[in-house]
Parts: sequence; structure tokens; C-alpha cells
Amino acid sequence: MCNQQAIIEINHVSFKYKGSAEGLLCDVSLSFKKGETVLLCGASGCGKTTILRLINGLIPHYYSGDLEGNVTVAEHNIRETELYELAGIVGTVFQNPRSQFFSVDTDGEIVFGPENIGLAPKDISERKDMVVSEMKIETLLNRSLFELSGGEKQKIACASVSALLPEIILLDEPSSNLDWNAISDLRDSVRRWKEEGKTIIISEHRLWYVKDLIDRVLYLSDGAVEKEWSGEEFQNLSEAEVAELKLRPVTIEEKYISAFTDEKGKITSGKSAKISGQPSDVKQRNSLSSENDIILSEFCFSYDKRHSGRHLRKCMREGGIGECDGLQLCIPELALSSGKVIGVIGRNGTGKSTFLRCVCGLEKRCPGKITIDGKTYSGKDCLKLTYMVMQDVNHQLFTDSVKAEVMLSMEKEDEKRCDEILDRLGLLPFKEKHPMALSGGQKQRVAIASAIAAGAKILLFDEPTSGLDYAHMKQVGDMLQNLAKTGSTILVSTHDPELLALCCDEVIHIKNGRVTG
Amino acid sequence: MRMKLDPRTKLYMVLMVSMVVLMPAATSLLWGVRLLITLFPIILLISEKRYKSAVRFLIFYGIALVLTFFVLKKEMQGILAAVLIGYCGIVVQFAPAIITAWYCVRTTKIDEFMSAMQKMHMPDGIAISLAVVMRFFPTIKEEYGSIQDAMKMRGISFGGGNALKMVEYRMIPLLFSCVNIGDELSAAAITRGLGGNVKRTSVVELKLRLWDILLMVLFTAALGVFVYNKYFG
Repeated sequence: MCNQQAIIEINHVSFKYKGSAEGLLCDVSLSFKKGETVLLCGASGCGKTTILRLINGLIPHYYSGDLEGNVTVAEHNIRETELYELAGIVGTVFQNPRSQFFSVDTDGEIVFGPENIGLAPKDISERKDMVVSEMKIETLLNRSLFELSGGEKQKIACASVSALLPEIILLDEPSSNLDWNAISDLRDSVRRWKEEGKTIIISEHRLWYVKDLIDRVLYLSDGAVEKEWSGEEFQNLSEAEVAELKLRPVTIEEKYISAFTDEKGKITSGKSAKISGQPSDVKQRNSLSSENDIILSEFCFSYDKRHSGRHLRKCMREGGIGECDGLQLCIPELALSSGKVIGVIGRNGTGKSTFLRCVCGLEKRCPGKITIDGKTYSGKDCLKLTYMVMQDVNHQLFTDSVKAEVMLSMEKEDEKRCDEILDRLGLLPFKEKHPMALSGGQKQRVAIASAIAAGAKILLFDEPTSGLDYAHMKQVGDMLQNLAKTGSTILVSTHDPELLALCCDEVIHIKNGRVTG
Repeated sequence: MRMKLDPRTKLYMVLMVSMVVLMPAATSLLWGVRLLITLFPIILLISEKRYKSAVRFLIFYGIALVLTFFVLKKEMQGILAAVLIGYCGIVVQFAPAIITAWYCVRTTKIDEFMSAMQKMHMPDGIAISLAVVMRFFPTIKEEYGSIQDAMKMRGISFGGGNALKMVEYRMIPLLFSCVNIGDELSAAAITRGLGGNVKRTSVVELKLRLWDILLMVLFTAALGVFVYNKYFG
């Protein structure tokens, strides 16, 4: 053995999933040293996740397929080791916070692992207290996991992995669903593990937040390790080189960082959306807005059901913004230029999704009105005017073929128009396929096609690029711009500064339910 | 006052009530007993600060009772009356079990439940399956909400007037996402050692208190009254 300290050895491993062509590995040999922090990067489907699954034993014990070669983790041969024996050695933080917890409450989740490996209740409590104080998550204890934000869930996931005291920690695209602040918490967790001397392997598309933590970077392509850098070399790669590799940028431009973190900082490019803060500014707004602007007015909302629509409106008209302290959303008036891509940013839980839901007409009690081409729509009519592509697009595909999906949205079935729309989105070859058999990006486009067929003029996107690699993100960016060119107005909420840079013409910054810049 | 019952007591109550609702109540004594065992879980819900569901159940059950006893008469005719009689009959008959089961599911944490299962020497396989079912209720609710929203945006909430489509459009996405979540969930759970041949432990210490015993006795007695009435009375 070349290195005494190697804790993970992957020896000439090839793997193919049963019944799938994706995510295969071809003759990969790797070794990871004890205490090392390694980043795996590369396009989706390049085999990053497969490598992690080899190490935590999910391959071959949970996901079956053809496996050749040997994997040794902390002197255990993976093939001959049962998964529960690895539980105390390898810990894994997964991508999706909502599907990796077993309990419904936070306390139960943290002790779940130690209970499984049969520790004495007293030891478990001690471990729990230790992990909780280390990660400073006292405030999250004794809560239902279903009411936590994505970032908080991911913290609990990290804590429950920590509680097993594994030597090796794997993270599979852990930041995909997180906002800026949650990512910095995640970075703190990784840093703490690194200081404790754990071996850490991270598979990730977002590179900027891990760049100063990693010792080594492996670049995968088509199931093989193609390039390898030390952490330092990787940080010094030029922007062009990174773009060449189809990776997301390693460094984020200053102006975007301030947009996401510093509440007072505005994007200085001069592109921010036109806002008129007070109802008394109407004249000023008229001079600001051109004729083809879309005017959103009286968009206010409170989750407190005692606030009726009329009450909300009155409170906004008479009291001004100061009186509306209890409201989760309070936008008296906002002009959007039509035919543009408009980014909506802000921290988690600050009213972005509420804003999108209200614009869509999904919140009945929101009295908001949309004025477009001189016509004013409110309430149920907003539902027809707008369409939101949800973060989990699986929720909005209902039929058994792409064609049927588009037809379902039309008032009168019109096959010719259906073909036109599909062609425009590059979906014509998949017309007869089942939507669930398509890739994530294609599903997104099917959802868009159905929105266009329904005649939606404003398209809203909720985090369309979470978990996407650079190439796919760029595709989404191009698509959004094309949609804008053909006359739709696009509102896109995002945590990805990379996407803002790619495609957004204007940016709205939402804080505490108010538009701030 | 918060009355924390042992999960075993809750399960026992569910079992007893389920048997009671399968037997007809003919005399006013039996009706009284049935009312009593319906009121108990409602009071328990209030003690757990679940006011909303308590009030909802109270109204739901109350209306059905009032309708059955004071409004609806056997000689009434017409479709509406028939539907109401059937509906109220079912509610009055089975609501006690529904309310008790609801109370049991909503107020039991998964680790308490697992611990209770261990105390009763249930095989891990059964305990885990039941725990997963409990874990899935809120997930299904969440997913269903999103699907409902998506349907509203598409204007297909009523499936174009076709009842079958209405169900299909809800079920297909729901099944897909539940299968996905279930798959990821099991992968995450087994990497943390679930299903090993190690004896699982539990930090939750369960103890039967006076209240638990009193309630168990009460519910057993309720069943006893019904059984006595049916077979010996």
C-alpha cells in the first residue's frame, strides 16, 4: 500500500446501475487520506454520487448493479460489511433535507442513529448534549421537523450525523436547497469537522463556499477522474478555466455577495427594479413607469387569518407601511417591466415565496391586483394570467404524455399550437413520452409548455436552478431569456448569484415582506 | 394541565374503542358509555393544547348526534334525508375510533412510539414499518398541499367535471413523490444504522402512571359493558 494513512481505498472499481445508463463508473482508483477534505466536482451524472454511495455502502447493499473491483473503508471490505456496521464509521448528509429525517421531531432525529447502534440511553443523552452545544442548536430542540426551514433541517441532519461520531463524513450536494445564510452555517459545520480531524468528502456544484476548506479537488467526467488539483491550485484557476470545465464559478462577484448578505447593500449595477414605496407617490410612479409596465398593487398578506382582505387593504391605504407591521407581505405598488427576466432575492423566510404565491393568486385573502396592458386582474383571474413553475416540478405534471399535458391546459384542444409550443421549447421529440420518464430540465420545460398553452403572461419560477450543474443552469438561464423575448414576463426567485449574473435584467430584493431595492 | 400518557395506553385505548364502535348501542346506558369514551380523547386533545382539532371534532360529532336524535326521523323520505341519515349514522358510529386514533397519532412522537413497541417486545420489523407510516402522514399532507396548488394554477381542480380524473390528477403526482421520498428516506435511515441486528435502545423512558392505569381500566370497562350487553344482557 502506497500510503499508510489511507482510510478509504477504491481499487479499479467499475459500476453500472441496474437498468440505467447514468452514473456509471469506469475503472476508478482513488485513495483518501485520514483527515483530508476532498471536493468532488463535475457535471450531473458524472459519478460523484456513485462514489459516495460506494463509500457509505449503499452500493452494493441498497442500490444494486454490476460492481467490479474493491472498496475498503477503514479496513472494512465494503462488499462483506453490513450497512449497520458502517453506521458508526461513515456518516452521510444528503441533498434533500425533507427526505432524510426519520423522526418527526428534532430531538428524536438527533438520537436516532445512536439508538440504532444500541448505545446505552445515558451515553446517548450525553452525546446529544455535546452535539447540541457544539453546533449551537439549542433553539431547534423540541420542535417539529416539519416546521423548520430547509437550512434548519440541514443543521439537524448534520447534528444527527455528528451524534454517531463517524470518522468519515460524506456530503452529497448538501447546499442545493439552502440560502446564503444557511450555507454559511453549513460551512461552519464542515469546518468544525475538519478541525476535529474527520475525513470529509463533499460532492457539490456550488464551489464558492467550500473553496477555502478543501485540501484536494477531484474533477469527474463520464465516470472517471479526469483532473486533480490541490486546494490551492484550485483556488488559483482562472475564471475562463473554470468555465471551460463547465463548473459553476469558484468566486462570486462582490456585488452579488452584498445583495444576498448585507441588508442595506444594493446591487450597484443600476438595474434594480423601479419601486414606488408609498401610495402617495402615484405621480412619481407614472413618470417612472412606461406604458408596457406591469403594475402590481396592494399586494399584502398575513398568515394570520384574522386579517381579512378588506382589513389588509384598509391597513395599507390608511396607515401606510408602518402600520402593517404584522403583515408577512406588504407591497403597495410595484412596477415590473414586461418582457424582462426579473430576479427575486432575499433570505429564506423573508417573504419571497409568499410574494410569488400571492402574485399567482394562490392566496385567496391577498387583495393584490395586477394591471397589464391597461386591464386590471385580481383574485381568481390572476390564476389564469400567471403560472408558477414549482421547485419540485413533479407536483405539477398530471398526465401520461407530454402532449396530453399541454393539451390539458388549452381551452380548446389545438394540436397545431401544441406542436408549435413544444417545438419552441425543444420538446417535440418527446411528445409521446411520459413526463415522469424525462430528465429534471425537460420536466421543467413541460411545465412551462403547459403554462404557455394556458395563456399565462407572467411566469414565475421558484428556485429553478437548485441542485443543477453549470451547464444545466446556463440552459435554464438561456431559456428564461428566450421566454422573455417572446413576450412573457419572468419572475424568478433564486439563491444562486450565478443565475442572476446569467440572465436577470432586473432584481427585486425582498426583506421582511417589503421590497427594499 | 398537560396530561402525558404513555403510548401504550394510547394504543390500548385505540384498540378498545375500535371494538366498541363495532357493537351497536341500543340502550341509553350504552349511548352514555359511548359518549363518555368519545369525550375522553377530546379532553385529552385539549390537555395537549390541540384546541383546534378538539373543537372541530366536538362540533363534527355534536352535529351528527343532534341530527340523529332530534332532527332525522326514520319515516323521512327523499335523497337528502337518506344521505344525511346514512352519513350521520356512520359518523355517530365510528367517530369515537377516529378521534381516539387521531389523538394517538398526533400526540405521539416517533421515538416514544418505538420505545413503547420495544417495551411490548414487538419485532423491530413491525415497529419500524408502523413508525414509517406515522412519519409519512405529515409528508403526505405537505405534498398534497403543493399538488393542490399546482392544480389550482392549471385550473384543473375539478378535473374538467370528471370525478375519476379529479382523483387521478391528485394521485399520480402524490404517488411519484411519496415513492421518491420513501426511497431517499430509507437510504438515509439505513446509513444511520437502522435495521441492524443490534438491539435498538431508546432514550425515552416510559413509565405507566396512575392516569394510564385509570384510563386503561375505564376503557376496558366500557368494552366490558358492551360485551356483557350483547352476549349476556
